[in-house]
Amino acid sequence: MTAELLLPLLAAAVQTGTPILYATLGEILTERAGVLNLGVEGIMMVGALAAYVTALATGHAGLGFAAGAGCGALLAAVHAQVCVGFRGNQVVSGLALTILGTGLANYLGTPYIGQSIPGFQRTALPLLDQIPILGPVFFRQDPLVYLSYLAPVFVWVALKRTTWGLNLRAAGEAPEAVTAAGLSFARLRWSAVVLGGLLMGCGGAYLSLAYTHLWSTGLVAGRGWIAVALVIFAFWHPGRAVLGAYLFGGVMAFQFRLQALGTHLPSSLLLMLPYLLTIFVLVAASVRRRGQAPPAALGVNHEPPD
Amino acid sequence: METAPEPLVRLEGIDKRFGAVHANRRIDLKINSGRIKALLGENGAGKSTLMNILAGRIKPDGGRIHIGAAVHAHLTPRRAIAAGIGMVYQHFTLVDALTVAENVCLGQAAGIWHHPRRSQEQVARLAAAVGLDIDPGATVAGLSMGERQRVEILKLLYRRSRILIFDEPTSVLTPPEIRQLFSALRQMADQGKAIVFISHKLGEVLEIADEIAILRHGQIIDERPAKAFGAREELARRMIGRDVLLEIDRPVVELRQPVLQVEQLDGGGLQQISFQLRQGEILALVGVAGNGQSAMVRTICGLAAPVAGVVRLLGQPWADFFSGAASGLVYIPEDRVGLATCHHLDLVDNFLLTTRRRFCKGPWLQRASATACLEALMVDFDIRPADARLRARQLSGGNLQKLVLAREFHRRPKLIVAEQPTQGLDIGATEDVWRLLLKAREEAGILLVTSDLNEALALADRLAVMYRGRIVDLFSVFDKEKLARIGQMMAGID
Repeated sequence: MTAELLLPLLAAAVQTGTPILYATLGEILTERAGVLNLGVEGIMMVGALAAYVTALATGHAGLGFAAGAGCGALLAAVHAQVCVGFRGNQVVSGLALTILGTGLANYLGTPYIGQSIPGFQRTALPLLDQIPILGPVFFRQDPLVYLSYLAPVFVWVALKRTTWGLNLRAAGEAPEAVTAAGLSFARLRWSAVVLGGLLMGCGGAYLSLAYTHLWSTGLVAGRGWIAVALVIFAFWHPGRAVLGAYLFGGVMAFQFRLQALGTHLPSSLLLMLPYLLTIFVLVAASVRRRGQAPPAALGVNHEPPD
Repeated sequence: METAPEPLVRLEGIDKRFGAVHANRRIDLKINSGRIKALLGENGAGKSTLMNILAGRIKPDGGRIHIGAAVHAHLTPRRAIAAGIGMVYQHFTLVDALTVAENVCLGQAAGIWHHPRRSQEQVARLAAAVGLDIDPGATVAGLSMGERQRVEILKLLYRRSRILIFDEPTSVLTPPEIRQLFSALRQMADQGKAIVFISHKLGEVLEIADEIAILRHGQIIDERPAKAFGAREELARRMIGRDVLLEIDRPVVELRQPVLQVEQLDGGGLQQISFQLRQGEILALVGVAGNGQSAMVRTICGLAAPVAGVVRLLGQPWADFFSGAASGLVYIPEDRVGLATCHHLDLVDNFLLTTRRRFCKGPWLQRASATACLEALMVDFDIRPADARLRARQLSGGNLQKLVLAREFHRRPKLIVAEQPTQGLDIGATEDVWRLLLKAREEAGILLVTSDLNEALALADRLAVMYRGRIVDLFSVFDKEKLARIGQMMAGID
């Protein structure tokens, strides 16, 4: 009996957590290079709209996904230019990006409200979906969820096992060491911010293409901010980001179900749950152990000595 | 000897200005392989600027850099590394969160993939080959300053640098570590590398250098083989342009009541610390940084409560003293830029940071009388430029330190805790600070925390050697036998 209730809930947790996972990984990549990007929410909004409109116009969900990712990278490039190119304030630039992205997407998206697209559909993976418990939870999802299983591995390998990742982590910790090693500090941060934006755009695209299959005002609904908080919860490690994203996905899915079942609890209280959890997560994360400190040069712009 | 070989690097007419400061004035310098060249000069003489230009960190305004047959108007870090120039900066450029091997290979790895284990093996082989003892898998954050310096040296060797520049390399090292560094430098020079050694410490320069170039006010005023220079005094005179006292007179001061009593202090990395400090004496706490000195200073200055044991300040127990006004105690911290002063405030505000109680009238601050008082002090203490409207960051290190002393002594202290009071200061400013401390001794007991043995010997009446949170030994500065073993005590060999 419980399995019948629990398995769909867990599957929904994975699905609901997927856009947050993409965005969190994007933010981790960005922050490991020392750039704080508070524009996640705006980037996700623009990514969601771009993906939706492209999919609607071309009829190809894959093209839509690419467009969402591309627009995310493009918007992040603005942030990179302000922070790395002009050495502007990272917090202000990120907030501006969120306001800009949200406003722009809501404005441009108004004509599309209510039109449904096929987008991505569930396709069970043969054989794997027969595994008890894991099968129904993880392997009866849509293709973008499967892609998201690869994303943390990709980010981990990029950070830990490539030269680029090593240089990038150094850029987030000690900019002067990077310059002294003869590396281009600006290029490293640029690449991280843009690639991070691409992942955030993927998160946004997931929402409109596979989650709702339609456009609505305020589609992202704070998921970008949750991603920013999750980076801290994850201690900047891609593996822990998976855990955090699915935890949030679980809470969100749970409160939807509770609403659908028709409890006496006011729905606005239920809707608060994920954000309440955000606060708890941040408090819990503040009690960190050694080796879980943020990148030392996070948010610090590097002025060349001359 | 006279038929000089072709130099590895030749600097020609290097010129650099920073705003009003003319840091380098058309400097010519040759750097030869197999030789250790010392650049000697006071702080601000332009030594570091010149070498930063060679390492590609700073762009010169004029002049040319000849490396072999190539001529450059300026270098970038990348081009300097490619040309075989490597520099160990005074503030190490290491990434704390990465391992030794990752730091060494940073920016040098070819290809896309990073193999942590393979690079560790490479670095281990390199370290073994040159006899530098280091664990390549260790995270830099956990290393001592001496070990970090070894990582910096490995970085240069890994890049096959032929010209190795060391900016004040001994300032963070213990006496045994300095010995190790010097033998490594000699070994590298014997292998045909060119070494440039930047320093303002005369003894070291005379000991290690083959050639000495003296910089003053951005110019090379003298350059000769080391043997052609006479004693320290001559070198000091050439460097500063006036006579300096390397020994300083110590008037005898009568010892009065105890101002600080520490009994069986434990915790925070300290073990069984007991000593007494009386008005009229200077007790120097010597030892390599990180052996419990900062924990002790934090406790004595009220920043951390003693875990176990008794601390009495001016006769009062710790808790009573710090729950009151804590007057009579002053703290001159090591970090004069971050902790002792606020960089962007003007000198009056900086002066008021600790003296404001004297310039209060109800809720109002008497800024005018504080300014007048500070201006008088600036003349007394010879702080230049004597302009109270300047920002703290506009003062040089020596003048800023004198400002801190002027401010703290104005409070008529009975107990002074001075941490590395002359770190980074040139000889002239060091001498001024020493004099001021000796003068303050007449009214107060001074706990001097220093890693500079010369300073301890010049100022202190008694020495306490710290190692791993303990006071290994406490003895009078006139105890010749124990003085001879002080290096071993600091290194824990006993």
